[in-house]
Amino acid sequence: MSGLGTALVFWPTAAIMLVTGLYVFRTSSMARAGLLLLASLGVEGLIFLALASEFLGVLQLLMMSGEMVIMVFFMVMFMADPGGLMGMDMTHDKRRSAAAAVGVAVALALLALLTDWPAATLSGEAPDVRAIGFEVMGRSMFTFLFAGMTILFAIVGGIMLAAQGGRLGIAAPGDDGVAVPPPGRAGQHVPPPGGEEGHAMHGAEPAR
Amino acid sequence: MSAASPFAIVALALVGAMAVALLEQVVAGARPSPAGVARAALGTLRQPLAVPQVKDAWLYHGAPVLLLLGGVLALATVPWTPGFRGLDFSTGAILYSACLAYVTPAVLMAGWGAGRPLQVVGGFRFVALMLAYEMPIVMAVTAVAAPAESLRPAAIVEIQHAVPMALVQPLAFALFVPAVMAVAFIPPFDLPQAPGELGGGAFSAYTGVHAGIVSLAQKVLVLGAAGMTAALFLGGWHGPLLPDALWMALKTAAVAAAMLAAGRRLPRAELPWLLGAAWKYAVPAAILAIVWAGFVSLAVYQ
Repeated sequence: MSGLGTALVFWPTAAIMLVTGLYVFRTSSMARAGLLLLASLGVEGLIFLALASEFLGVLQLLMMSGEMVIMVFFMVMFMADPGGLMGMDMTHDKRRSAAAAVGVAVALALLALLTDWPAATLSGEAPDVRAIGFEVMGRSMFTFLFAGMTILFAIVGGIMLAAQGGRLGIAAPGDDGVAVPPPGRAGQHVPPPGGEEGHAMHGAEPAR
Repeated sequence: MSAASPFAIVALALVGAMAVALLEQVVAGARPSPAGVARAALGTLRQPLAVPQVKDAWLYHGAPVLLLLGGVLALATVPWTPGFRGLDFSTGAILYSACLAYVTPAVLMAGWGAGRPLQVVGGFRFVALMLAYEMPIVMAVTAVAAPAESLRPAAIVEIQHAVPMALVQPLAFALFVPAVMAVAFIPPFDLPQAPGELGGGAFSAYTGVHAGIVSLAQKVLVLGAAGMTAALFLGGWHGPLLPDALWMALKTAAVAAAMLAAGRRLPRAELPWLLGAAWKYAVPAAILAIVWAGFVSLAVYQ
């Protein structure tokens, strides 16, 4: 692609990427946040394509679709307010996280500006596919396998958390919406009065 | 890509959608009637739009467009003749999978945006199914790309000048066909939209232009699935006597007819059975198909 063509694709897509990326943090609906992130990262694939990195661009388009949709799935599973309809504040520790974000952004910007980027022009039949293939199957193989296993463990752990009644645990008698059984019936768990004392008693309780 | 090819692709998508609609009628045992298809389409378009009164309604409006965009771009990666290609990328086979991958967010958006329980569950259910279909597609594509030493679909067609890839790699073929049928919602894999499943599932709330776009997108997906199967596994435009384009058209039509006919004769797959079959058997079988691809690449094609 010519220099003008690249610029015509690059700048608008970069703007869309930034705006959608920003709106990810301006919404409290999990579905909307996930799909905006998909828009942001999918458009990044177009930037790769405009910069003649065809394999990375196509791969970015392919992977982000699946990954972001799975992320929507998990966020809806784990969040107490997945639709963002109750006005729940999902941020914590704002000052320190803002400081960390600004610090990382400045560091990355400096890295991009100060690095002495090579000015090589790619040509021929997708040299990047071949180069990436040798990189993944060679020097970086261990890194990729390790990352893959780590992600797999995280997925299994997430599903185990979700399967056991969710992040908030299995509802017990006495919780919101769960009836307390009449006291004295054999074999039933009666929630003891009081906080700490009650928790201490759980261990001594006979198995039901 | 020349300046005319976007128009050619859109024209192909429209003509092909009509052809797929007529083929559906033939497979169903009816006389093909273009006027009937046009009347049904106009009837759908005249319906008033249903607009859900929920916060995320923009997802509901965006989903059919994304579905159609994914279908048309997938169609554009199919190598129809040696000269005519829409998106002729050196990684076109992966690009085809990438375009199909956007069916998933489209169905999720349709379900979530409708804001009603059956549609939301239908959307989420399709995400689980789609992930199961996506793996065999990408792995079968890898298997046919290995002998060609290229991810360019035209190069994969070129290497089949003597023997079609379906004969050399029957396992990859057997995995690819049901998976692309499933992505194109062809029965017996029409779980996201079958009337008996969740009352029609993710798309059941759509009327009017929305429903028309969804239906058009599905026919374009069928055309793309049949065309890519013909190109990657059945030798594409290669064939004796007849011109290239005619061979490709005949093969695509035959594949589409076979897919639609299979859908009419098989009972609809159940969700747990489908997920189990995909993850327990199709994915390991796809790994075997890649091993076989490595073997034939080194032993036969080198």
